[in-house]
Amino acid sequence: MKKLYILILSLIALSFLMPDTIYAIPAFARKYGFTCTMCHTAYPKLNDFGQRFRDNGYQIPGQEGSEKNVLEIPPPISLRTSTGLSIYDSKQGTTSGFNVYGLDLLAAGVLHKNISFLIVYTPRIDVPAANYTGTNPSQPGSMESANIVFSNIIQDAFNLRIGRFEPAPQVFSSHRSFYIMEPYEVYSFMTPANSFVFADNQIGVEATGHFKNGFKYGVGIVNGNGGNPDNSNYKDVYLNLIQVIGKGDGQSAGQRVGLFGYYGWQPTVLPGTVVAPTGETNGGGNKPFYRLGGDVSLNWSTLNLEMLLMQGNDDKALNTLVPSTDYRYSGGFVEVDWAALMNNRLIASVLYNWVSPPSYDNGRAIKAYSLLVRHYLGDWTAFNVVLHGEYTYREIGTTNPIKDNLFTILVDFDF
Amino acid sequence: MKRVKRFLMLVVLIAPSSLIAQESPKQQVLPDITSINVHSLGPQRISSLPPVPVPVDNPQTSMKVQLGKQLYFDTRLSKDNTVSCQTCHSPSMGWSDAGPTSTGINGQKGTRRAPPVSNAAYNPLQFWDGRAASLEDQAEGPMQNPVEMGNTLDNVVKTLNSVPGYVEEFKQVFWTTPITIDQVIKAIAAFERIVITTDSPFDRYIGGDRKALSPLEKQGMAIFNGKGHCTSCHWGPNFSDGRFHNLGAVQTGPLNVDNGRYDVTHNPKDMSAFKTPTVRDAGLRPPYMHDGSEKTLESVVDFYNKGGGDNDSNLDPLIVPLGLSKEEVKALVAFMSVALTSSNPEVAHLKPVHTSELPK
Ligand code: HEC
Ligand code: HEC
Repeated sequence: MKKLYILILSLIALSFLMPDTIYAIPAFARKYGFTCTMCHTAYPKLNDFGQRFRDNGYQIPGQEGSEKNVLEIPPPISLRTSTGLSIYDSKQGTTSGFNVYGLDLLAAGVLHKNISFLIVYTPRIDVPAANYTGTNPSQPGSMESANIVFSNIIQDAFNLRIGRFEPAPQVFSSHRSFYIMEPYEVYSFMTPANSFVFADNQIGVEATGHFKNGFKYGVGIVNGNGGNPDNSNYKDVYLNLIQVIGKGDGQSAGQRVGLFGYYGWQPTVLPGTVVAPTGETNGGGNKPFYRLGGDVSLNWSTLNLEMLLMQGNDDKALNTLVPSTDYRYSGGFVEVDWAALMNNRLIASVLYNWVSPPSYDNGRAIKAYSLLVRHYLGDWTAFNVVLHGEYTYREIGTTNPIKDNLFTILVDFDF
Repeated sequence: MKRVKRFLMLVVLIAPSSLIAQESPKQQVLPDITSINVHSLGPQRISSLPPVPVPVDNPQTSMKVQLGKQLYFDTRLSKDNTVSCQTCHSPSMGWSDAGPTSTGINGQKGTRRAPPVSNAAYNPLQFWDGRAASLEDQAEGPMQNPVEMGNTLDNVVKTLNSVPGYVEEFKQVFWTTPITIDQVIKAIAAFERIVITTDSPFDRYIGGDRKALSPLEKQGMAIFNGKGHCTSCHWGPNFSDGRFHNLGAVQTGPLNVDNGRYDVTHNPKDMSAFKTPTVRDAGLRPPYMHDGSEKTLESVVDFYNKGGGDNDSNLDPLIVPLGLSKEEVKALVAFMSVALTSSNPEVAHLKPVHTSELPK
């Protein structure tokens, strides 16, 4: 029992230390000679302009067709990493250490009018930056994103993204959050026998559209298996609806409300009878699950309040804990970001995360309180260096919760 | 499950084909900006101005420029001998006028603000709505415009041919007599092509003089190029994309609605869209916008900070509220009014040609 406890504990600690891959694409800034705040409130979080740029297939709205393509600009490649000191404290004691928190390699650009692409590759890194010898990488090698975008197929109303991408229901992108250590817990919460993780980028096809009246939609069909080969012939579908009230896009101005739903299938018989040369298998006994939620983003001056509520439901056949009922949980977060100083050189933020699993699984309930400060050292074109401090206090479980603290101070750089 | 697969196939098949379908018929009259010299490719950095583009059929010569300069300041081009180009494009007012809109012969009020002649040579299209493709094309406009110079082109040519001094000068420049309207507009355009402002603190800074800008102006530049999103339209060496945008600027003056670019293209997207003006030397020529509706640079920045004007369903998607603080507004204004104000003596302080110096 004690061994199991320690195992769980160390897994939790590890999950804490696994920073999310974060996108901010200085290749774009370099292309136009912009500073990062053109598209980001402060990188990596997108502002309204950046959101519209992304929605328009990485082309400045109105400049389609006169955009330089990837061959007419400096190599459209960007790198991001961060390094610093983490102090982890729990009932057992305290650890500390210098660390390198992952590396992102990004490439993105326009191939042709209304055809663009994004590739994000994260090479495997062993704890914290060792040679490739360990068994437990702190960052798995992954083709995080590899997609091509056909934009303005029917003006703003219909755009297509094909490949591996961040699905539209992740309106508050965990990839573009200020927080490096603390992802949105409810996004990464895993249910007992389901390989689907809300925070994952998925492989498939997504259609999106945005309209002058502030309405936006995103609808997709994906494997639902992250970057892995699909494990059944059943595909997952999702829908995301957004309404922005007032001017702006809800990222840095305007008030945004949204609803999302994700409906998927998970095989219970694995592997299937066939395994394709490309890795897919036709897993059987597919059982449904869904995620439903709503989100709000309110802006006032440079204050942004973001809220998300989400409920998840897995079919009872996927509930290995209490097979007689569906596995049902809920969770969400509330975040307030504030941008200060000239050109948003300082960001301060608070974040509250919670996940409430069913009572029989409440050992995995989460409550987390985070604070963050980021100071951007410059107003440079196409690169930046950030001093970043982040603190999280977390309670796991409800009766006799495991309490831990993680404090990280690091330098984050991107070019 | 088969259905899902079929749907997928369909989507993949439809996507590229509809893309091609969308591209082929170019309903827009807008010439492809990629074909125009300075705007050869896409959004570019703000930087110093390159050599001015000169059309092959109107090469610059110093005699032609001198001739154009005389014509520019000559009221005899107008119907009643009261108005010259200078009346509305005065070197001492940043090559514009007191505004808000221009006043032509007989004190008649125009509907639009006079844009600067300085650096107009870099515009891929002329006028707020881009209806003229070159400076040569443009120059015919004001002479014939009933509320500007109120003349006819025939009459302009007749008048000039009756001035022996001009006949002699035109002959030296163009080698033919009599004077034609084509020669008149070529000479004026040649003069406009030397009205270029290259010596602002910003240009000196770009040229390597790191002290040319004050810390506030530098911050302003970073905001112009970042949080303010200004360079998404005011880009490139002349701080203009040469394209047309609807900012929802309040319509003031004689018109209730100004259709702007729409009157040229008849594309609903262009309704009340106006050409992005340069902001070089903007500090010298208040008021602002196509109708002079914004009195100061501060009010222009406040206007952008609110997310442009109200009640316009055709608002450009690049216009969003900016969340600029008072300090940031101040920095932007300092950047525009100080760092972008040039001191080229031959342009900023050009002495108008006095009537007594004009050919007789
Ligand atoms: C009565 C005032 C007036 C006079 C006189 C006048 N202009 Fe203008 N000019 C204007 C106005 C107003 C506009 C903008 C009109 C529009 O866009 O519809 C303009 C536009 C221009 C432009 C286009 C600039 C740009 O950025 O698009 C140029 C160049 C120009 N004028 C040159 C001249 C020349 C050369 C003359 C003399 C032959 C002249 N103007 C005479 C008022 C005047
Ligand atoms: C969407 C494109 C766009 C953006 C973004 C933009 N501008 Fe403009 N700007 C224009 C257009 C178009 C006009 C003329 C509008 C009109 O007259 O209706 C203009 C006019 C101006 C003028 C008046 C110039 C004159 O001579 O009348 C100034 C000054 C100016 N902009 C500065 C800025 C600043 C500062 C920012 C950033 C805060 C900015 N612009 C952002 C397109 C843009």
